[in-house]
Amino acid sequence: MSRWVATGIRIASPIVIAFALGFLLFAATGYDIAEVIHGLWQGAIAAPGSLEQSVRWAIPLAIISFGIVITLRTGEFNIGAQGQILLGGLGAASVALLLPNWSPLLVIPLALLAGIIFGALWSAIAGVLKVWFNADEVINTLMLNFIAILLIQWVTTGPLKDDATRGETASTPRVDNMFRLSDGTGVSLELIAIVVVAAALAWIIIERSPFGLKSKLVGSSPRVAAWQGLQIKRIHITTYLLTGAFAGLAGALEVLGPSARLVTGATPTLGFTAIVVAIVGMLRVPGALAAALFFGGLQAAILFLPIVSRLPSSGLRIIEGLVALLITAQFIWLRRQHNRRRQS
Amino acid sequence: MTATLSEEVVLRCEDIAVAYGDVQALHPTSLSFHKARIHVLVGQNGAGKTSLARVLAGIIPPQSGRFWIRGRPVRAATVPLVRELGLDIVHQRFTLPPNFTVAEALELVSARKHAGAFYSGRQLAASWRRELELADLGVSSKARIRDLPIETIQSLEIVRALAGAAQFLILDEPTALLSPSGVDRLFARLKHLRETGVTLLLILHKLREVMEIADTISVLRAGRLVLPPTASAGVSEQALSDLIIGERATVDSETDAFASGASTVERAVNLSLGDVSTPHSETEPALAAVSLSVKAGEILGIAGVEGNGQRSLVDVLTGLMPAKSGALRLMGRDATKLKHHQRRSIGLRVVPFDRVAEGASLGLPLWENVTIWKAEKYRRSRFGPLRIGAMRIAARKALDQFDVQYDSLDQLAGSLSGGNMQRLILARELADEPRVIIAAQPTRGLDFRATHYVWRVLRRLKRAGASIILVSSDLDELFSLSDRISVIRGGRLVAEFAPPYEMQGIGDSMIGVTR
Repeated sequence: MSRWVATGIRIASPIVIAFALGFLLFAATGYDIAEVIHGLWQGAIAAPGSLEQSVRWAIPLAIISFGIVITLRTGEFNIGAQGQILLGGLGAASVALLLPNWSPLLVIPLALLAGIIFGALWSAIAGVLKVWFNADEVINTLMLNFIAILLIQWVTTGPLKDDATRGETASTPRVDNMFRLSDGTGVSLELIAIVVVAAALAWIIIERSPFGLKSKLVGSSPRVAAWQGLQIKRIHITTYLLTGAFAGLAGALEVLGPSARLVTGATPTLGFTAIVVAIVGMLRVPGALAAALFFGGLQAAILFLPIVSRLPSSGLRIIEGLVALLITAQFIWLRRQHNRRRQS
Repeated sequence: MTATLSEEVVLRCEDIAVAYGDVQALHPTSLSFHKARIHVLVGQNGAGKTSLARVLAGIIPPQSGRFWIRGRPVRAATVPLVRELGLDIVHQRFTLPPNFTVAEALELVSARKHAGAFYSGRQLAASWRRELELADLGVSSKARIRDLPIETIQSLEIVRALAGAAQFLILDEPTALLSPSGVDRLFARLKHLRETGVTLLLILHKLREVMEIADTISVLRAGRLVLPPTASAGVSEQALSDLIIGERATVDSETDAFASGASTVERAVNLSLGDVSTPHSETEPALAAVSLSVKAGEILGIAGVEGNGQRSLVDVLTGLMPAKSGALRLMGRDATKLKHHQRRSIGLRVVPFDRVAEGASLGLPLWENVTIWKAEKYRRSRFGPLRIGAMRIAARKALDQFDVQYDSLDQLAGSLSGGNMQRLILARELADEPRVIIAAQPTRGLDFRATHYVWRVLRRLKRAGASIILVSSDLDELFSLSDRISVIRGGRLVAEFAPPYEMQGIGDSMIGVTR
């Protein structure tokens, strides 16, 4: 069996098993499987506009997952992308709303830059706590997510409140259309170009920069890295900044793209799905791109499914969760096998 | 007391041998231990003591051989089976979970029959109170393990073993982490256990402790039993020291050790420590006012029983740990405050103690293991991308120069044998002819051929003018390479020797014997 086939099976098996388990559950609770599969197919690919929807969700997933690939390679478990996205959106929205009369040629780059910086700094909070105080990054990034949500709630009901909305979910006013990178569909040449640039940049950082290779050494054997004089603290901080930067960029694109405003409780699961995307993509940029398309399709189907079948969208979230669970289990199993082989 | 000594043999081993891969840790060994005595097993590091203990405790299977506990043959030994037969071990590193209370931890890991499927915290605490009172530890069964001093945790390990009705207790280097008064209390406790009929097998390093507590002494050297259990009254401290280290006359150092020293008039001191002390460490004595210096073209050997401050010394020399006080000079400049990567940039390289945990990243390919640390060098400009091709060429050149046997640059470092992995580490550290080298246990676990290869490399670099500090617990290695040997004991450099080296003097100074 060739290496590629083996790798293919390794990646596909958790996904296939997750779907099988999910379908079993749906069948057992009285749903029509054929109807669900049909809905999935329609929601992700076949129905008019659904392919576009898949790409629309693949764009942020891909960009966020690049940052998560970097953090996981360095051995840090930064699960704060969700909060970093919101901060990125806040940065972009602030620039776009505070400079309404400036040229879009200036405002758009500034807004993207603000999103990147906001996301990076938000992530760096957890990095500093980890590096200097050895505070657990899983807990800190998770808690920062909650703080970010509340921060956005405060901003959208206070300083950047949209007076036009009433009773609905709080949000900022709309960003002027001339600052936007796409319409409500969330798919445009500009956005795709940005994904391509981000992917190229991420690839160079990971595969062709001293930081990329060093962070891999730090991630796989920190003690070995220390004995070779690698500056582990600096590498960790850089990792946090980069992870936050990518998530912040994705958040900025949401505001300048499909949603046109910063909404309280927007995109509540993107940051977590992106972790699964990074792992399914085997911690590589091309892999993450492919996985982002797959999970973008799933996301589109999740939003579409309740319309055509009786299955609530949480059903598909179960499958998404199962994929994450099975991949983690597989990862631990593979590592154990690897260790056993080494011992014998 | 002699009148009541039991003649019952509680543990008998026949031809037990242990091998790790190609390394024969223990050659076929037969010995037996009598009941209700304190038996002590001594030997250098790697002599096979811990291997033997692990076989007896059912932790690793022997390569060959059998043993009997209280006359009953032990087949396919496992930890529960051996415990069932009344044998238990207290490890160098403790097994009680730090966040548990004393009662919880004991209940979790002891072999004592559990009270039932469910119990309340109060029942649990009560059920262990008696055991703790018997042991006279003065510790509450509700205290958290992590809050207890090391000495008490160790005693709890003993309580745990005895609660499982252990009749034969092995303690692997029980004094290693204890203060002198802690050692005294431990020994009193062990003697008390002996009175109650428990048989003890202690693995010890320090001769003073051996002479103090042993009823019988056995010596392992290089995996062979050189002294079967012998009543301690019949063994002198001096004879024991010779048995442990191996009786040899003075060993000549290689001639080139002197030749280069005489020829040059004034050679620069490339590395020196002046009155360096280090912060307190949990695992070994801190350095106390250590001074040393190494000239260009000189190898300074550091001898010592392991755990006497060698790690602190290497950590401070490399910059992995800051000195608490004192000064370090490297290549003619004050490097006291420099970090490890800064010291590397002015010519320092290091061969770490532990190949696998510190030397090479097993999950990364060979070329990355060799080149990553100086990845910045493989770019055309400050922000240019890495030239992977150039990195691979450099890696191949270094690996070939050091005769590493490999199939592909992309194979994982974990797939290399021990000798090859050490060559890879040498290739990474030494290919660019560094000026200052810290070599920590560079040949540990290597076979004869690989060992001699490492020696040749170090000698060649020395002749090329490098200053080398060689930390080793292998005296043969130190004798054949060093221009001078300093002995480290308890975090101090206690003596310095010049060739021709005399085994006995250095051995005595390592262990702290005065004759």
